[in-house]
Amino acid sequence: MTLTLLLEQIFNGLQAGITLFLIAAGLTLILGIMDFVFLAHGSQVMIGAYAAAAITIATNNFYFGILAAIPITFVCGYLLEWLIIRHLYRRDHMDQVLATFGLILFFNEAIRIGFGPAALFTNFPSSLSGFIEILPDTPYPVYRILIILVGLLCALGIHLFVSRTRVGAMVRAGASNPEMTAALGINVKILFRFIFAAGATFAGLAGMMIGPLTSVEPGMGEPLLILSLVVIIIGGIGSVRGAFIAAILIGLVDTVGRVMLPMLFKTFMSVSTADTAGPALASMSVYILMAVVLVFKPTGLFPPKGA
Amino acid sequence: MVLDLFKKFTTLWIILVVLAFFPIFTSTFDLPFWNDVVMRIMLLGMAAMGLNIVFGFGGMVSFGHAAFMGVGAYCAGISQYYGLDNGWYQLLMSAVSCGILGIMIGFLALRTSGIYFIMITLAFAQMLYFFFVSLEQFGGDDGLIMDRSDFIFIDLYEPLRLYYLIFFILAAVSIMLMLLIRSRFGVILQAIKSNESRVEAMGLNPLKFKLTGYVISAVICGLSGCLFASWQEFVSPDIMHWTRSGDLMIIIILGGLTYVAGPLVGAIVFLLLEELLPDLLHVVFPSIAENWMIIFGPLLIAVVLFGKGGLMGVVGNRFTRPAARKDQ
Repeated sequence: MTLTLLLEQIFNGLQAGITLFLIAAGLTLILGIMDFVFLAHGSQVMIGAYAAAAITIATNNFYFGILAAIPITFVCGYLLEWLIIRHLYRRDHMDQVLATFGLILFFNEAIRIGFGPAALFTNFPSSLSGFIEILPDTPYPVYRILIILVGLLCALGIHLFVSRTRVGAMVRAGASNPEMTAALGINVKILFRFIFAAGATFAGLAGMMIGPLTSVEPGMGEPLLILSLVVIIIGGIGSVRGAFIAAILIGLVDTVGRVMLPMLFKTFMSVSTADTAGPALASMSVYILMAVVLVFKPTGLFPPKGA
Repeated sequence: MVLDLFKKFTTLWIILVVLAFFPIFTSTFDLPFWNDVVMRIMLLGMAAMGLNIVFGFGGMVSFGHAAFMGVGAYCAGISQYYGLDNGWYQLLMSAVSCGILGIMIGFLALRTSGIYFIMITLAFAQMLYFFFVSLEQFGGDDGLIMDRSDFIFIDLYEPLRLYYLIFFILAAVSIMLMLLIRSRFGVILQAIKSNESRVEAMGLNPLKFKLTGYVISAVICGLSGCLFASWQEFVSPDIMHWTRSGDLMIIIILGGLTYVAGPLVGAIVFLLLEELLPDLLHVVFPSIAENWMIIFGPLLIAVVLFGKGGLMGVVGNRFTRPAARKDQ
């Protein structure tokens, strides 16, 4: 019984970790290459989730919703960079924090005005609502497996792109030394805008996929933003590989801890105390992990070379 | 000396005098609600002034100072839960706990710099946040309802007693900050902001000064939080949510981060906007009056893009001067 539960939680942790990676992949490049503290990345998750949910509800077709939402998030990211972000690269971190905090407020309120304060609920199609037996007697939802697979595919794609292509080499060069990259004649402005829009798209994709599992509501991106910042810091700013490893780690610690800690606490505490303390301490453990990593490796586990 | 402080920090003195006489204005025009708003301005302004020691003068972008407000508030709440409702004792407790926590967090966090520093301070704040969420005995997520603390000889339930208690502590903190920024310590802290390795080359240990500044700012935020608990008559982890750390930073940048009075100006503008924007929107676009943040967000972006140096900087150096320009 406990082993089945543990296995199930490990899969849930993987799914959460993969989702976090999709959000963190773009953000780590934005932080690493552009040295830009972008707090409104969580809003991109929300925009993706809302775009997919709204189109799904309107057309009654889940796949169409996702397919239509992907270009929408790309355009959103592209426009955001062009309108506001590019004016902020040369400012210091404080200004960036303040301006992107303002963006969060704006996006949350805009969504609240457009769709109302209540959550939108969508369902994935019945063809995805079945279960697969990952081990004998251990059924697991197909939809979550699908998220893990899509996420892994994206991770592989990002990895191949960054490590094998010419543009990827520019991205890596930018992560270790942006000025030098620009000096070599690479059009950093276009590169930045492209990375920004791609990052927004992956974050939006994460939002679209978790939409049916959680509630699609204003402000849904912020908890994910904070967690993906933790992922980026642990992985090392600018490192996609570091972000992947850290995301899986954080997903597992958070999810497994949330279930296992209350069970552990119940052995020596009253049930209600354990139910309050367990999940909160599981959330805490993520930050403890990050603080420990930073104390011993002040630039994260995999800092890009030359940074 | 006193005259010198008066000349250097004119804006701060003017604000303090206005705050001292503000209740006369509200009682004349019968607007008791505004006393409440001004108390909130003073409390958040005090916390932001504390944060500004590290943020504006030390150049360390701490994204977790709301946690110290929360610890201060819980010092009041938990003390009262166990029957210790002496307010002076609670203030002392808040100062001591935030001081100790400040030393611990500051020591670990100051090993990093730049974005990593922003994130590690956020991490510690989140840890404390979830720690208080996990305390079921003290209400967990729902918080703890409490009475105003018992400051001996001052009955906070009498009208305006709380107002003047907050005012005098704010005034004391302000005067201390004016002296601090002009002192040797303050000058070295600002020197570290502009060039840390040069300070090190002069034979000084920057970490010592940064850590001291961090602890002082933590203690001030703790005092503000302790009084905040009495003002709100309620403590919950909400007081230390990460968005409040963001609010404090907004307040500072809005007011102008190289000025001692900046955070106070910022708090006045921030909270007045929070109060007045919905009313204003109600007149112009009644349908979105509740969504005043849709105006406030772009306003922040505009301040960043066009208003260098915050409001104190925009209003100009004719009336106010950067706190320590001569020393820099």
